[in-house]
Amino acid sequence: MPARWTVGIDIGGTFTDVVAVRSDDRCVRAAKVPTRTDDRVAGLLAALAAIDLAWTDVSDLVHGTTMVTNAIVEGDLARVALVTTQGFADTLAIGRQNRRHLYRLDLPPKIEPLVPAARRYEVRERLDHEGRVLRPLDPDSVEEVVAALSGSGASAVAVSLLHAYADPSHEESLGTRLRQHFPFVALSNRINPEAREYERTATTVLSAAVMPLAAGYLDRLEQARPDSSRLHLFHSAGGMASPDAIRETPLALALSGPAAGVAAASRTARELGLDSVISFDMGGTTTDVCLILDGEAQISGHRTLADRPLRQPMVAVESIGAGGGSIARVDHGALVVGPDSAGATPGPACYGRGGALPTVTDASLLLGHLDAQRTIGGRLRLDPAAARTAIDSLARAMAMDVEAAALGVLTVVNAAMVQALRRVTVERGIDGRRCVLLAFGGAGPMHAVDVARAFGIARVVVPAHSSAFSALGCVSARMSYSQQRTVRMAAGHWDATRIEAARAALRARLSAPLCAAGVDPADIEIEEVAAIRYRGQSYAIEITDPCFADPAALGAAFYARHELLYGFVTGEPWELVAIRQRASARDRHVAIGGPPPGAASAQPPASWTSCVFDGAGARPTPRHDRARLVVGQALAGPCIVEDDWSTVIVPPGASLTVDAFGHLHIDTGIER
Amino acid sequence: MKSGDTTKPPGAGLQRPVDPVTLEVIRNALNAAAEEMSLIVMRSARSPLLREAGDLSSALTDADGYLVAQGRDIPMHLGVMSFTVREFLKRVPRERLAPGDVWFLNLPEIGGNHLPDVKAIRPIYVDGSIRAFAVSLAHWADTGGARPGSYVADAVDAWQEGLRIPPLRLFSAAGADREKLEFVLANVRGAPEREGDILAQMAATRAAEERVQQIYATHGSAESTAAIAAIHDRAEAQMRAALEAVPDGVYTGEDWLDDDAAGGPPVAVRVRVTVQGDHATFDFTATDDAARGPVNTTPYIAAASVFYVVKALFGPDIQPSGGCYRPLEIVTRPGSLLDPGPERPVVGGNHETSQRIADALFLAFEAIGPQRLSAGGPTTSGLMLFGGRRSDGAWTTLYETHGGGEGARHDRDGAPVIRVHMSNVMNTPVEVIEAEYPIRIECQKLRHGSGGAGRHRGGEGLHREYRILGEEMSVTSMFERRVVPPYGLQGGLPGAPFQVTVVTHDGRAYALPGKANIRLGAGDLVIVESCGGGGYGARQADSPPDADIQSKELKA
Repeated sequence: MPARWTVGIDIGGTFTDVVAVRSDDRCVRAAKVPTRTDDRVAGLLAALAAIDLAWTDVSDLVHGTTMVTNAIVEGDLARVALVTTQGFADTLAIGRQNRRHLYRLDLPPKIEPLVPAARRYEVRERLDHEGRVLRPLDPDSVEEVVAALSGSGASAVAVSLLHAYADPSHEESLGTRLRQHFPFVALSNRINPEAREYERTATTVLSAAVMPLAAGYLDRLEQARPDSSRLHLFHSAGGMASPDAIRETPLALALSGPAAGVAAASRTARELGLDSVISFDMGGTTTDVCLILDGEAQISGHRTLADRPLRQPMVAVESIGAGGGSIARVDHGALVVGPDSAGATPGPACYGRGGALPTVTDASLLLGHLDAQRTIGGRLRLDPAAARTAIDSLARAMAMDVEAAALGVLTVVNAAMVQALRRVTVERGIDGRRCVLLAFGGAGPMHAVDVARAFGIARVVVPAHSSAFSALGCVSARMSYSQQRTVRMAAGHWDATRIEAARAALRARLSAPLCAAGVDPADIEIEEVAAIRYRGQSYAIEITDPCFADPAALGAAFYARHELLYGFVTGEPWELVAIRQRASARDRHVAIGGPPPGAASAQPPASWTSCVFDGAGARPTPRHDRARLVVGQALAGPCIVEDDWSTVIVPPGASLTVDAFGHLHIDTGIER
Repeated sequence: MKSGDTTKPPGAGLQRPVDPVTLEVIRNALNAAAEEMSLIVMRSARSPLLREAGDLSSALTDADGYLVAQGRDIPMHLGVMSFTVREFLKRVPRERLAPGDVWFLNLPEIGGNHLPDVKAIRPIYVDGSIRAFAVSLAHWADTGGARPGSYVADAVDAWQEGLRIPPLRLFSAAGADREKLEFVLANVRGAPEREGDILAQMAATRAAEERVQQIYATHGSAESTAAIAAIHDRAEAQMRAALEAVPDGVYTGEDWLDDDAAGGPPVAVRVRVTVQGDHATFDFTATDDAARGPVNTTPYIAAASVFYVVKALFGPDIQPSGGCYRPLEIVTRPGSLLDPGPERPVVGGNHETSQRIADALFLAFEAIGPQRLSAGGPTTSGLMLFGGRRSDGAWTTLYETHGGGEGARHDRDGAPVIRVHMSNVMNTPVEVIEAEYPIRIECQKLRHGSGGAGRHRGGEGLHREYRILGEEMSVTSMFERRVVPPYGLQGGLPGAPFQVTVVTHDGRAYALPGKANIRLGAGDLVIVESCGGGGYGARQADSPPDADIQSKELKA
């Protein structure tokens, strides 16, 4: 029997999500199993087994993983040697000279460079900013470095030459020579062809540092993979990549986890025809927020991970360090929530694992939002008495009753979420109140309506399969590769030939892995973004589908966007600074079947409990089992809809309906 | 402020108390608004100084000009902005303000520091009354005067330093006042770039206005105003708790500037701190007289340094706000380095003398526990300005600060190449410098051996070489720690002093003074070697340098 399942598997730090879709009848299977960090390949097979599949049943397996992210966060990295232009070996140690903490003298002001001085080497060569050769690459110095590297004990080599973004030839010839001796070589012009030597070097070194880990894992996966099945990895920019492409740029997995959730949200936005969506993924320790316009997640080119700069095209996720485990305290008359988190261990007080400090989850349990009668994931039973004791300490410190204190905790943490929503929308010139909030993750659907109301959003969607949402994102991904390249050009000195050459080179580089994976060149779609600024500005504005042939039109688009974002335009000259492309294999849309199995007719609530939503005190509230809702069913708040993994809160004044896909639509009830 | 003027925000205690939840929500919203202002300026401003180096800050004040929220910016600016609006209101009565106004000013004597740091102030109205002010401070790359970049090393009076802007309404509800704007732009180099910076500052204050109005719409007038008052009270309580933990007593400290910026001997900053219960007085009366050259500074900078040191040593979580200053009394002597009057030049005092004040304060508190302190660090901006014309004829100035080695601490070595204390401005990447200025960087590396020896070593400084490619460039230095090196603590040795060397195209080499304006041409080389950090603790003469490592191995 031919393999006919497309499977998405997202291996997170704690749980592995799996979603499978059968190609002929769109049948869907989904599961959530504990992650096995000791043997990830075995864990992946166990996830398949949990939905009664063997790998031979699978035609395409798309795999998201936090492996690279965790390695970076935990510092579990390979020994890297660095080769730079003569005179610039210390760039990594110098950094941008600013300190991390303004007022903390005790903490180290900057992070240790990943490559110590003893493993930093220099070659004699020099380019200028337009790629002109000021000094040719000296072959003798290359040989000296190759000889020295052999005794360095490094297992990967990063190469970052000055201005390599403007002309890669020195790096490429060095790379060719180095690969004869070292299996893992990362070149800065391939990892991040953009100006600013510290950030490019740090990114290249980080990518080199995860090459052996990624290669080892991919080797084991490829051994386990049957020939009939194709393997893809889910990358940070929200698409999938071939194992070979990931071997060269494993750093592309750095945001794999959050990107998969955002990809599923984008898919849902497209299915529902929503033009402006904010994804809201609230977990135990962090909350990720991302703006999705016309079904496409916004992309950003830089962020930090574990205090190290990371410049890659990535979904523009705003992460804030607040979630269900965030600890509340009263500090000089203000109720402060976070940044400290109880995490998974000891966890909130109500987990009964030794935590005693009041957390957001404890407040939710005390107010009846979480059901004390249910277990989380069929395993963890919550302890309401412990939650009450913890919140009571807050209440006494504020001279409030315990319910008011718990409501206060939710108000404060939700206000922090609102600031994150504001940041992702203001940054793109969008009126966030027009957006739909798409909530998932363990705590997202519990807080979504209150967050939406506080921000002025009228509509919330809790999507189907929300508990295995990241795996759903993997299954729906297209194969795509993205890169941004510095191309500086003043409007007054437009050189169409140079632009065309840069675009063609980028297109060729990004298309190559698609062709290698068997995609017909005619099916490759190229999307482009131009980064433009006033001459002298730092941050460029992104113009999608730029018309490079007509600089006047491009300029007009820039002025219009600048006016929208900043409210003013001047007549100063503008300049192009970078081009970003995404090459993707045209539509491989995996349709997903209709509503999940539901009841034939509307069922009465599974139970009634007493819940507090506001200052009006406790009220009897129906609790519905999500699996037993029917298409078209409408519920008025207050009510609660829950499954093994998440709880959807519909407070008084809001109302919920179930659509044909199994998505829950909530009208927050605010005036727009 | 001056001589015991510890005026309190009025109205505190008159409003009804606000609950802890609303207080936190409004406090966070105000801080977020201030941070958004800084992002807007960074993204939309023109000068590399703002966009690459982030030499800017943002704040919100209450209706009386007392600070209530700030972005995470630069301690020096944030301290000063605690006073800007209050001093502004003394000159411009609120009856003259109207919705839509944005006033610009840079006079050091109006809650300021030096001419390049230009403040944009917008009164924020809700229902017809002023409820807050938004302040956007940005370092303009040029404010006119004798030299590109407006650092006149040999200035002996305030008027040589550039365009002096008293409170000037550049925008009103009707839009930009073109005549005033043109007047300002006519007096600075790089007018198009400056206009972009001005518009960026204006846009930032407009965003803040929207945010504050949203806060008032959401929480109501009474609640919002009460929360703002409570922010002051809370910060005051935090500050008092921090001071309470400091043993009562009198602490004295002093440190020296290299010179008076006019060829004279080192100049002393002296402080006498009296801590009594939850209150402290910082008396700078014994500080030397005003300098002839531009290292003077203002009492507002003295206050900013005091606040920084108290927060860093005793209460990193204290919310900066008008209320923090209530338990602090800061005394400066008119005619002194820190209170020189409006006629003296001040441009370098902003970042050099402010750091020396911080050093004097830290050394005063060595008595209560040196393990709280770091040894002497790069308490200088290490500033070099390279001014000239681009290939397209436009004026351009590279304003580059140079971090040095951090001072060591009782439990660790100092970090290499970092900014400490009152500033946190970033460097400009080599690849940006070479693309935008007629300069080539020949190398940038750690200055090996510059960190002071000790049980823990001071951090290494920086070595960076600038090759001039343009026909003519004006080069200005404004740095300290060239003569008086970063100090060691508890027997640790001082770091290597700062030095800048010029090697002309024909091979002559000379040391550049700490405050100088020179002209260089194509082929000339400027070598910057920033100071190393001081060491901490005496190194035992009879034990090898890595005694710590060995003893760890023995334990293991």
